[in-house]
Amino acid sequence: MTVAVLDAHEVRIGRRQAVDQARALARRSVVGTLRQPQVWLPGLLFPMFIATVNTSTMGKAVHIPGFPPVDSLLDFLLPASITQSVLFGGLTAGSDTALDIQTGFFDRLLASPVSRTSILVGRLAGASVTGALQAVVFMVVYGIFGVRIAAGPAGAVLLIVFAMVLALVIGGFAAMLALRTGSAEAVQNVFPVTFIGLFISSAFFPTELMTGVYRSIARRNPITWMVDGMRHQVIVGLDWSEAATSLAVAAVLAVLAMFGANRALQSRLRRAT
Amino acid sequence: MNVVGGHPIEAEGLVRRFGDLVAVDGVDLVVEEGEIFGFLGPNGAGKSTLVRMLTTLLRPTAGRARVAGYDVVEQAGAVRRSIGVALQDAAIDPLMTGRELLRLQAVLHGIARAEADERGDVLLERVGLRGAADRRVGTYSGGMRRRLDLALSLVHEPTVLFLDEPTTGLDPTSRLALWEEVRRLNDEGTTVFLTTQYLEEADELAGRIAIIDGGKIVREGQPRALKEAVGAHTLVVTVPVAQDGAAADVLLRFGEPRAAKAGSVAIGLAGGPAELSGALRALEDAGITVEHVELDAPSLDDVFAEATGRRLEGAESDEPAVEVSG
Repeated sequence: MTVAVLDAHEVRIGRRQAVDQARALARRSVVGTLRQPQVWLPGLLFPMFIATVNTSTMGKAVHIPGFPPVDSLLDFLLPASITQSVLFGGLTAGSDTALDIQTGFFDRLLASPVSRTSILVGRLAGASVTGALQAVVFMVVYGIFGVRIAAGPAGAVLLIVFAMVLALVIGGFAAMLALRTGSAEAVQNVFPVTFIGLFISSAFFPTELMTGVYRSIARRNPITWMVDGMRHQVIVGLDWSEAATSLAVAAVLAVLAMFGANRALQSRLRRAT
Repeated sequence: MNVVGGHPIEAEGLVRRFGDLVAVDGVDLVVEEGEIFGFLGPNGAGKSTLVRMLTTLLRPTAGRARVAGYDVVEQAGAVRRSIGVALQDAAIDPLMTGRELLRLQAVLHGIARAEADERGDVLLERVGLRGAADRRVGTYSGGMRRRLDLALSLVHEPTVLFLDEPTTGLDPTSRLALWEEVRRLNDEGTTVFLTTQYLEEADELAGRIAIIDGGKIVREGQPRALKEAVGAHTLVVTVPVAQDGAAADVLLRFGEPRAAKAGSVAIGLAGGPAELSGALRALEDAGITVEHVELDAPSLDDVFAEATGRRLEGAESDEPAVEVSG
């Protein structure tokens, strides 16, 4: 009986320590990202640049029949910019993991009694927090230029939650690749693929106005399902059904990505040991 | 020091293969409590592979090892809680400050924040980094990184400390400072397992050493005993080239010939330093002009050469160990 009680106590301590370890590693991840403006600044400026160019050159597209009802193209692009920025930033979670492997910091972690899962959870939690910060920056900056979220504060919170889950998706897939290859370059090479995925979706243009194969692909693209649900909160108003669809798609992808990343971690640990 | 039964480090028939390559080939090892054990060998000899197995980073292909009383495979978690590890190349996150990394390391070992901060301050003071504690590690010199690496490995007050080539690439001053710290730690009772490719480092620090070559331990013992076992001091006499044959004839009366550069004659001085004056007098009596004299005590390089037929000295880069000439 005593042994059982001690075991349970030890398990509780182990769990608490694993949470503390994951939190400390998440903090390292966020601090490390924030201390590298060269890493996060392009992820903010590039989507803003694209939104600026699109708004200037295609601003009148909002008057095309069938275009969702918006005051300005910038309203339409807010969820796209957040998605683009988070896709870019989420890859950092993978490339930083690969760098830890390349520099030997990963070995330092493994030589300590850290929970192996905490290494991964910490990294992805850090990416998720960074995603939330990115969403806030876009809402503030676009807000200065007149974008109002129709769903109000609840819509803003939904956009932040969406950004956090999306960061888990891309961060998880990037971490999986990093753990499989141990190469930061391999992770960075995924960037163009995510970009193609973003452009063949409703992120920058409504699928209703697309034609042919492009439209067919875009309608099946999970990015479309995620972005449309969030866009609804920005340009129409609070709609839990739309939000749930968007977040559910992101959540399923996040679970798949984290499962894959965990498999890759276990595989790396087996290879190493 | 609280090792759970037995010795701080014990290995029995430890083997690690990578495909066809046998990196560590049946290593038996016992490290006594409270000693600095030097593990010496050229690059690629198997030093780091052995350390990675002992620190649970690599599973042995065969054999078994216990560290701090725990099996490195079956009780890897307990081993990790008991050891401090400073691996080769001081892998430290350059974006974090020294203090932040010490806090992180403390959390990884389950140390509470207040205690972690207190220990961190003590360790920063100890390794002379208090003034740089809040600077990012990326601004540290190589010596500062190594010292921080050492502090990180001590956060949880380990019973056994693994230092994998801790001074590689350091300038002489930083190297001496690190040696001093390792000695101090050992004086306080920490068992230190030190791998190095620097003979002088092993000689200075280690109470016992093992020499590994081709994955096998080829010599093990106290440095002094190993050097004495190699044999006599080496007498090297430089003479005019025309007289080196005659000089060799004279000196062979005092000991066995040894490899030497052209223009020099070297012998193992069988009677030790006491026979030096006699040998020089004999050269003078034979009318040989002595230009330079050296009397070298046996070194660990001689031990290595005697064991492997190659020299370690001068083979500190990635080049293969130097063949003994002559």
